[in-house]
Amino acid sequence: MRLAFEKRADSTPLGHTATIIGAVVLALLFGAGFLAAVGVDPLEAYALVVEEVFLSAYGWQDLLVKFTPLLFTGCAVALAAQMRLWNIGAEGQFHMGTVFVTWGSLHLNPDTWGWGMLLVMGLLAVAGGGLWGSIPGVLKARFGVNEIITSLLLNYVAVAWVDQHLFGSWRDPDSNNFPITREFAEVARLPSFGDTSVHFGLVLALIVAVVVAWILLKTKLGFQIQLTGDNPDAAGYAGVNSRLLIILVFAFSGAIAGLAGFSEVSGIHYRLQQNISIGYGYTGIIVAWLARNHPLGIILSALFMAVIFVSAEMLQIEYGLPIAMVYLYQGVILFTVLGSEIFTGYKLRLRTA
Amino acid sequence: MEFLTQALVAAVEMGTPLLFATLGGVISERAGVINLGMEGLLLVGALVAFVTMLGTQSYLAALGAAALVSGTVTMVHGLVCLVLRANQIASGLALTLFGTGLSGLFGDKLIGKTIEPLDNHALPGLSQIPLIGPALFNQDVLVYLSYACVLATWFILYKSRLGLTIRSMGENPEVCDTMGLSVLGYRFWCLVVGGMLIGLGGAYFSLALNSYWVDNITAGRGWIAVALVIFAFWHPLKALAGAYLFGFAIALELRLQLLGIGLSPYFLKMLPYLLTILVLTTVTIRNQRRGLQVMPAGLGQGFVRGETH
Repeated sequence: MRLAFEKRADSTPLGHTATIIGAVVLALLFGAGFLAAVGVDPLEAYALVVEEVFLSAYGWQDLLVKFTPLLFTGCAVALAAQMRLWNIGAEGQFHMGTVFVTWGSLHLNPDTWGWGMLLVMGLLAVAGGGLWGSIPGVLKARFGVNEIITSLLLNYVAVAWVDQHLFGSWRDPDSNNFPITREFAEVARLPSFGDTSVHFGLVLALIVAVVVAWILLKTKLGFQIQLTGDNPDAAGYAGVNSRLLIILVFAFSGAIAGLAGFSEVSGIHYRLQQNISIGYGYTGIIVAWLARNHPLGIILSALFMAVIFVSAEMLQIEYGLPIAMVYLYQGVILFTVLGSEIFTGYKLRLRTA
Repeated sequence: MEFLTQALVAAVEMGTPLLFATLGGVISERAGVINLGMEGLLLVGALVAFVTMLGTQSYLAALGAAALVSGTVTMVHGLVCLVLRANQIASGLALTLFGTGLSGLFGDKLIGKTIEPLDNHALPGLSQIPLIGPALFNQDVLVYLSYACVLATWFILYKSRLGLTIRSMGENPEVCDTMGLSVLGYRFWCLVVGGMLIGLGGAYFSLALNSYWVDNITAGRGWIAVALVIFAFWHPLKALAGAYLFGFAIALELRLQLLGIGLSPYFLKMLPYLLTILVLTTVTIRNQRRGLQVMPAGLGQGFVRGETH
């Protein structure tokens, strides 16, 4: 007797949702095991998460704050993934966005630019992230270089580039030698909603999500992107310039990740400093995968990943656990979700030989 | 001369973890499985070796534990992408996240703790060769073990029947299946053995390169190893050359920092990554020009009997 997978006759959206929920529950169970291993009562910890993250106004506010960059980076990764391109470099494109934005805030005179500052800084973020994203795009399109490796390696370069500025000429002379820049001028900050820390970046992220959805689902460009992803040969016969499209998609994807950087520096920190992204770019990969790259599904999966971030921060404060908890949970969730996907199309059968 | 000798010694030291990881990658990719979890596995190997060393004061136990635990963690990747047929790239990324999380969580309490790093043992005669003698033959036991692993991997992959089978798994799993061989079995165990080697590479970070624990001790070197597998044309002997070349770049970065030659340390930090991109691009262009098909043909593709991809 042995276990074997057998193809299901039908695979329903309901079945798909049920498997994802099952996978997440399984991941929470595994996560509980790791919590117990470092001496934290998992039941108590999960109860605290429910109480402080879901049942408190502050928790929801924090969720929306973390949701914002993840929606951007999730869209960035998903756009490329629709063409079967892996953009593992959203983290670096995010950082490049912050560098370009900060350049703007340090070099443009807020008195002459006024509210135009924000617009220019947003465009700078698009340029920074877009240029950085187009590097793996060009290398892939022109020479066929593996984009997974190049986009990822550029992350380390971008982070070093940020450090180069922070420890160099951009350091605020009044910062007691901390590697931070001067605060942005009032007009260079994204407005917040009321006295919360939720800021206009959230609206921008939602607009980006809708635009990406519109492009992918309603335009010829989106059709070409998906066609090239599914069947490059057919796309070639249909006259799609796939090389140009690769560069374009990577640049666009990078630009969106760059906007995430803009949203964080101008909406939250009001200055450039280290660790502005706590893995938002990498998390974008999971956000996109959970949503199967569907731009609107990303809204849900980004919210879910925001829960992980906020919960990990809470566990950090309550139990002194390191923020690496986030990566652990993300790895486990991605594993369980990937491992469960087969059950939407197959079922396990006991076969007698 | 003295500077060059020193730089070569450091190149081998910096290259050794890359070498272990690249060899591990070569074995699993030859069988057709991509392992993007290298960075995570290096971190797991480093953590386990360090913890075991703290507890037992035995290098042997530390190395054994690093290999075993890394192999076990790799099995999760194998379970998900081979048994449960998920996307290999996504599953590998999950492995990197998982390993990073594990080392961050359990390494948090170890930050600042120290161990006695591995001693160097000069091989009589050989270590006296000018220039390369000190670099290659006055090193610690893990470096010598890495030579043995290179030779063993090369011998098994290219000179044995088993190796022929393994390489066939990566080139044409359908044929292997028709011959009655278990594609799943071969691929799974090649992935796991590769993971164990990567774990040894991780151990090198905590047992030899550092004597104290720091968070994120591998600093992205696992991703350089992912690129090195391609650079080495999936060949163990070329992996040796590639690993030391990149070891040299990393060593040079550190040495130039010490010399204080006016270049910003942050620019120097970018060098190994930029070099990797440059070399990867050159190699890809060259292969295309010559029409070389060196990548295993079935790499990254799942295999299910009766379902062609």
